[in-house]
Amino acid sequence: MRPLDWVVLVGWLIFLISYGLYRGRGSNSTDQFLLAGKTMPWYAMGLSIMATQASATTFISTTAQAYVDGMRFVQFYFGLPLAMVILSATAVPIFHRANVYTAYEYLEKRFDVKTRLLVTIIFLISRGLGAGISLSAPAIVLSVVLGWPYQVTLMLMGGFVAIYTTMGGIKAVTWADVQQMTVILFALILSFITAITLLPHDVSFMEAVKLAGAAGRLNAVTTTFDWNDRYNIWTGLIGGMFLALAYFGTDQSQVQRYLTGKSIGQSRLGLLFNAMAKVPMQFFILFIGAMVFVVFLFQKPPVLFNPVQMEKIQQSAEFPALQQRYDAAFQNRQEAARAVLADDPRAGVNFRTAQKQLDDTRAEAQKLAGGNDTNYIFLSFVTNFLPIGIVGLVVGVIFTAAMSAISGEINSLATVSVIDVYKRYMTKDGSDAHYLAASRITTVFWAIYAMVFASFATNFGALIELVNYVGSLFYGGMLGVFVLAFFVKRCTSNAAFIGVIAGEIAILITAQFTGAYLWFNVIGCVVVVAVGYGLSLGNKSAPVGVSS
Amino acid sequence: MSDKHRDVIDEAPPFLGKWSNVYRFVIIYLAAVITLFYFFTAAYRP
Repeated sequence: MRPLDWVVLVGWLIFLISYGLYRGRGSNSTDQFLLAGKTMPWYAMGLSIMATQASATTFISTTAQAYVDGMRFVQFYFGLPLAMVILSATAVPIFHRANVYTAYEYLEKRFDVKTRLLVTIIFLISRGLGAGISLSAPAIVLSVVLGWPYQVTLMLMGGFVAIYTTMGGIKAVTWADVQQMTVILFALILSFITAITLLPHDVSFMEAVKLAGAAGRLNAVTTTFDWNDRYNIWTGLIGGMFLALAYFGTDQSQVQRYLTGKSIGQSRLGLLFNAMAKVPMQFFILFIGAMVFVVFLFQKPPVLFNPVQMEKIQQSAEFPALQQRYDAAFQNRQEAARAVLADDPRAGVNFRTAQKQLDDTRAEAQKLAGGNDTNYIFLSFVTNFLPIGIVGLVVGVIFTAAMSAISGEINSLATVSVIDVYKRYMTKDGSDAHYLAASRITTVFWAIYAMVFASFATNFGALIELVNYVGSLFYGGMLGVFVLAFFVKRCTSNAAFIGVIAGEIAILITAQFTGAYLWFNVIGCVVVVAVGYGLSLGNKSAPVGVSS
Repeated sequence: MSDKHRDVIDEAPPFLGKWSNVYRFVIIYLAAVITLFYFFTAAYRP
């Protein structure tokens, strides 16, 4: 990072926080603070939902997924548009008409207080863990790249989030996300153009695509079913749909976004915009990762992308021999890549063999360093190859992308803490000013909690997978109870309650047998619905409270 | 804290007339995108 990069980085941070605070002004009632007074247009909701999802993982982890594993991760998002359609037709009008602040409030109206409490606790635990991870993982990576102590990076990120979320509420979060998403797209396009311009003069764009394909990096669709394969078209369409249904239909951090809509139609448009934009956007991001892979076929990357780990292994006795093997493997791979371009019939096999040699050497180095460096691949590309000024912008965007995800999570955690716990159990008849103050205090509490959690949790692998894995342990159960609430009219509160517990047990048992976490959502939901439905068979009365 | 009932507006979509038509459009769009990705994968399979 050079001086101009620092100027751009600091300027971007100041602009985004100021803009969020400016747009969040007037959040002086709970309705404004928690639901933006239900004034949000569809495009703000849509972009905000995308920005929260994009997070720092978009840059740090998704591009790296394509670099090491190809583009098959895009299949993870195939079920998302289906989920958006289902939720637009069901959850959006139900929640709007129920006149609720949180999704869990609806559960008490439909079932009873204990079901609401159980799901509230599940949300607070899972989202609380998620907020810690969302803060910790990018803070670790950025602290290494910026050369700052981890705790300082953590405090800065958490501190900025606490300031604008506490002062501006959901309006500040949403409008900051709109700017954030726009700049994310700009930074992605710049990264793509840079990758293409870094190709050798005698390698065209189409030849670069051919090389990425020859290395197996353009595997966007896998039709073979394998229970243990995390990403294929079936896990994507079925498991991905259930995960998206659960995330957007039951997780307050997302439900709250579309509850801020001016109308049911605006909320639907926000979700459907996400449905149409998300899959092509993820494809583009993964394609950038594949192009970065091709760039590094010709520009020799370090053995390890994490500079701290690299420094560590350089001091070991094994390093000189390791570096020698790495250099030879790189040379072999580059020659094999040239042969692929010359249409040598045996070149493809040689190319993949050379790639495996290089991967094996890197795996050895990672073992020596004691950690995975996947999350540093794209940042290494950014800091070494992007033009001056743009490096600062991209690093700044990653910084604020992490803040965007955390601010949404903290805001929703505060909302649930106040509406579903504090107002429900502690102070039922407080004034609006009282609950507004409580909302601000709980926002600060959750920001501090996330920072404290993150300061102890520092040993994570691929960030994006971890966040989704933790979410999948809980989402299936939460989705199941909402399916019962929306569609099983005769379902009783006790049946729903027992169903959720059975669903969580089923997920924990499944997790012992497979790491393909997308299935957890399906299994958890199916078990909750089956148990809830089965236990309600004898009940012929209509539900009490809000109906769908 | 306001617990007053809000007027819920449920308007028609700005295009395609009915929401069910918009949902059909999104599903057809998804099928087209996946098909495109499938042919892309097949074209560049090692």
